[in-house]
Amino acid sequence: MIFPSIAFAIFFPIVLFLSWTLMPRPARWKPFILLASYVFYAAADPRFCLLLAGATLFNQLAAFVLARVKPPRQRKAIVSVAVAGDLLLLGVFKYYSFFAQQVDDVLNRLHLGLPLPLVTIALPVGISFFTFQAISYTVDVYRGVVKPASLMDFAIYLSFFPHLVAGPIVRAREFLPQLASPRDPEHVAVSAGLGLIGLGLVKKVVIADYLARAIADRVFAVPQAYGAPDVILAAYAYAAQIYCDFSGYTDMAIGLALLLGFEFPQNFDRPYRSLGFREFWRRWHMTLSRFLRDFLYIPLGGNRGGEWFRARNLMLTMLLGGLWHGAAWNFVLWGAFMGGGLVAEHFLIDHTRLHPPAWLRWIITFNLIVFGWVLFRSTSLSLIGTYLSRLTHWTAPTLWSVPVVVAVVGTVGLQLLPSGEMRTVRDRFDRVNPILMGAGLAILIVLVGATVSSQGVPPFIYFRF
Amino acid sequence: MAEPTPPTPPSTPAPTEAAPRHSDDSRMSRFQARGARRFRARDALISVGLTVIILVVLVGPSIRKAGEQMNPGVGRSVILLVGRPAAAIADSLGLTHITHDATAWLSPDQSLSGYPGFATPVAAIGGQAPPVTSDAFDPTTLGLPAPPRRPLTRLLVTGDSLSEPLDQYLAQKLAGKVDVIQDPHIGTAISNTFIVDWAQLAESQVAQDHPQAVVVFIGANEGFPMAGPGGVQVSCCSTEWAALYASRARRMMDTYRQQGAARVYWITVPAVREAAKQKIVRAVDAAVEVAAQPWADQVRIIDSVPVFTPGDVYRDAMPLNGTETIVRESDGIHLNDAGSDYLAGIVDGVLQRDWTLGG
Repeated sequence: MIFPSIAFAIFFPIVLFLSWTLMPRPARWKPFILLASYVFYAAADPRFCLLLAGATLFNQLAAFVLARVKPPRQRKAIVSVAVAGDLLLLGVFKYYSFFAQQVDDVLNRLHLGLPLPLVTIALPVGISFFTFQAISYTVDVYRGVVKPASLMDFAIYLSFFPHLVAGPIVRAREFLPQLASPRDPEHVAVSAGLGLIGLGLVKKVVIADYLARAIADRVFAVPQAYGAPDVILAAYAYAAQIYCDFSGYTDMAIGLALLLGFEFPQNFDRPYRSLGFREFWRRWHMTLSRFLRDFLYIPLGGNRGGEWFRARNLMLTMLLGGLWHGAAWNFVLWGAFMGGGLVAEHFLIDHTRLHPPAWLRWIITFNLIVFGWVLFRSTSLSLIGTYLSRLTHWTAPTLWSVPVVVAVVGTVGLQLLPSGEMRTVRDRFDRVNPILMGAGLAILIVLVGATVSSQGVPPFIYFRF
Repeated sequence: MAEPTPPTPPSTPAPTEAAPRHSDDSRMSRFQARGARRFRARDALISVGLTVIILVVLVGPSIRKAGEQMNPGVGRSVILLVGRPAAAIADSLGLTHITHDATAWLSPDQSLSGYPGFATPVAAIGGQAPPVTSDAFDPTTLGLPAPPRRPLTRLLVTGDSLSEPLDQYLAQKLAGKVDVIQDPHIGTAISNTFIVDWAQLAESQVAQDHPQAVVVFIGANEGFPMAGPGGVQVSCCSTEWAALYASRARRMMDTYRQQGAARVYWITVPAVREAAKQKIVRAVDAAVEVAAQPWADQVRIIDSVPVFTPGDVYRDAMPLNGTETIVRESDGIHLNDAGSDYLAGIVDGVLQRDWTLGG
C-alpha cells in the first residue's frame, strides 16, 4: 500500500479515527495501532509480516538479555549476535542473489566447481529500514542510551506504518518516549501535518513522476539514443526527481505521523544548497547519515587515529552506505564516489588554504552531486560508460521543454532561497485553520490525481531499497 | 478551535555507556521551535473527514473503478465496499462530470476515444472472419525463398511490465540503426480493459507511430473474466476463455500488421514460479499461438518458453555464455536485466532475418 493510493485513502481516515478514539486507553490503542501497521504491511505481501514479527522477537530477546547481563564481554557478544542476525536477514533477502551471482562468476572463471545455488528471493518492502531501526534499538540498549521497551512498544516502534516502508529511520530514543504516555489530543499539529501531506503529494506525483516520464527514464534507459544536451538535462532532471520522490515520501510520512500525534526526525533540509559533501550528507537522508555515523563510522574509529584512518573509515562507511541502496555495482561506485568526495574535501580543508567563494563551492558541489546521481541511476557500469560517452555528441536537444526546465530549476532554486523566506511561508501554513487545510487538501488531491496516468502512481524510488 | 499550547518534547534518557554524543541532529523539536500551531485531535478528524467527503463527491466513481480493476481478494472487496456507495453518491450529485471536464487536460494519458475497443465487435467495424489466405504461410516453411529483406527504420516495443526493460535493451542494441518507440503499459492486461483497452491502444499506437514492426510482450496480469457470447462472463482458464483471449490477441495482431504492411513479433510468456499464475500463462501462450495462425507470414511468435523454461518448468537461473546466470526477477514472473538483455538479443536476431536494420 503506498500513500498516494485509493487503498490508503480508505485505510488512513479509519485508522486516524480509531487511533484517537482509543488513544486514552493505551491497553487498547497499542494492540490496535500494531494491528493497523501489520495490515498496512500485509497489503504488500502477508508473508512478509512473519519476517517483521520474527525480527521484532529476535531483537527484543536480545534487548531483554542485554538488560540482565552485566559482564561487558558477554554484553558485547550478545549485541554482536543480534546485529549479525539482523545483517544476515538483510543479507539473505537483499544481497544473496547478487553475491551468489558474483561468486559464481568468479568460480566459473577459475574453472572451479561448487557454484552457489542461484535463486531469486523476493525483497520484502522496507526491510532495509526496519532492520536498521532494529539494529539501532539493540545497540542503543547495549550502550544504555535507551532502556529495553516492552515487547508491545518495541513492536509498534518497528512496524509503525508511517515510517515502515521507506523511513525516516527513527531511533528508538526518539520514538519510544512518545509511547510512554498517550498523545495529547489537545495538542496536535493538524495544519502542519496536512500541509506536509499536500506538499509531499505535489513533490512525488506532480514533479518527480513528471520528470521521470518526460526525460529521466527515457534517457537513462537508452542513453545512446540521445545527444549531449538531453543527456545533461536528464542528469539534472534525475537530481530533481529523486529529491522530490524521496523527500515527498518523507513529507507525507511525517505529516501522517503528526496527525496521529507523533513526531519524526527531519530527513531532508534543502540538500541542494550544500557547499560541500559533508554539508550535503547533513542535509540529505539525514536519518541514514546519522545511522551510518553512529553505528558504522564512529565504531570504525571515526576521526580518531589520523587522517588516513579517517579516510579509510569514510570510504568504508560510504561504500557500505552505497551498497545499502541496492545490490548492484553502480551503488557501490556511487558510494565510492561520495566517500572520495568526503575524503577530498577533508584533505583540501586540512592541507590547503583555498577559500573559494560560496557561489563557486555551490557550483562545484552541486554538479558533483548531480554527477553522482548519474552513477546511482544507471542500471549497469556499461551504461554509465555509454551515458558519459554521449556527453561528447552534440546534437540538437529533443527532450528540452519549458515544463521540464521549470520543474528542475524550481526544485533546485527553491532550496537556494534564504531560510527566512521559506520559514515564513511554512509558518503561515502551520497556522491555517485545519478545516480550510482539509478542504484545500481534497482539491489538491483531485488536481494531483488528474495528473496520474491510468497505470497509477509509480512506486517510490526508495521502496526498492 | 483550540488555542495553541506548547508541546511536550519527547524525553530522552541520559546516556549511560559509550554512546556517541552529538547535538540534537534529529531536530525532533523543530515543530515546537518554529511555533507550529497546535489544534485538537477532533480538528484532525474533522479536516480529514472533510477531505474524504469532498473526494467522494468529486471523484467517487474513481474509487469504484480502482476496485473493479483489482484482482479478486480482500483489498478489492474493501475498496468496492467503499467505492460503490461513493460512486452512487457522486453520481447522484452530478459533480463527477464537472470535475472530470475541469481536470481532463491534466491527464498524461493519450486519448483513445475514437478508436474501437474490444467491446465493439469486429463485424461492426467492417471486418469479418478472415478466410485462409497466403498470409497464413511463411514461404520458407514451404521451401520457398524468403522475400527480400526490407529496411527497418521504425520499431514499436510494447506490452505490459514484461516489455520493460526488454524495450530498453532492444533500443540499446538497435540504437543508431532503428528508431525504437518504447511504449510499455504497466499493470495492463488484454483480458482487463479497465486501465487500458488494448484494442483501442493498438489502433492509436499504429495511427500515431506508424511502426514497420511491432514487438509485443504481454501476459503478466492476465486471468480476468471476459464477456463471452451473450455477455456471459467466462472465467480463466477454460478453452472458452482461451478462445476469447485469442480473439482479442488476434484483433491486436491484425491492427499491428497493418494489412500486411508491418510485421508483428509476439513473445510468449515463459513459465512463472507460482502454480496458479502458471495456469494462466499456459492459457495465454496457447491462445497467442492460435491467434497468429491466419498471418504466419506477418506475425511471428517468438517462443520464450523453451529458451527460459524448457519443458514449462520454472527456473531462476540458466546458462548464458557459459555461465549460470540469474535471469528472473524475485517475483518469479518478470525477466531481470540479464534475462531481458538475452531476450533482446534473440529478438534482434529474428528482426535481422526479416529486415535490414537501419535502412
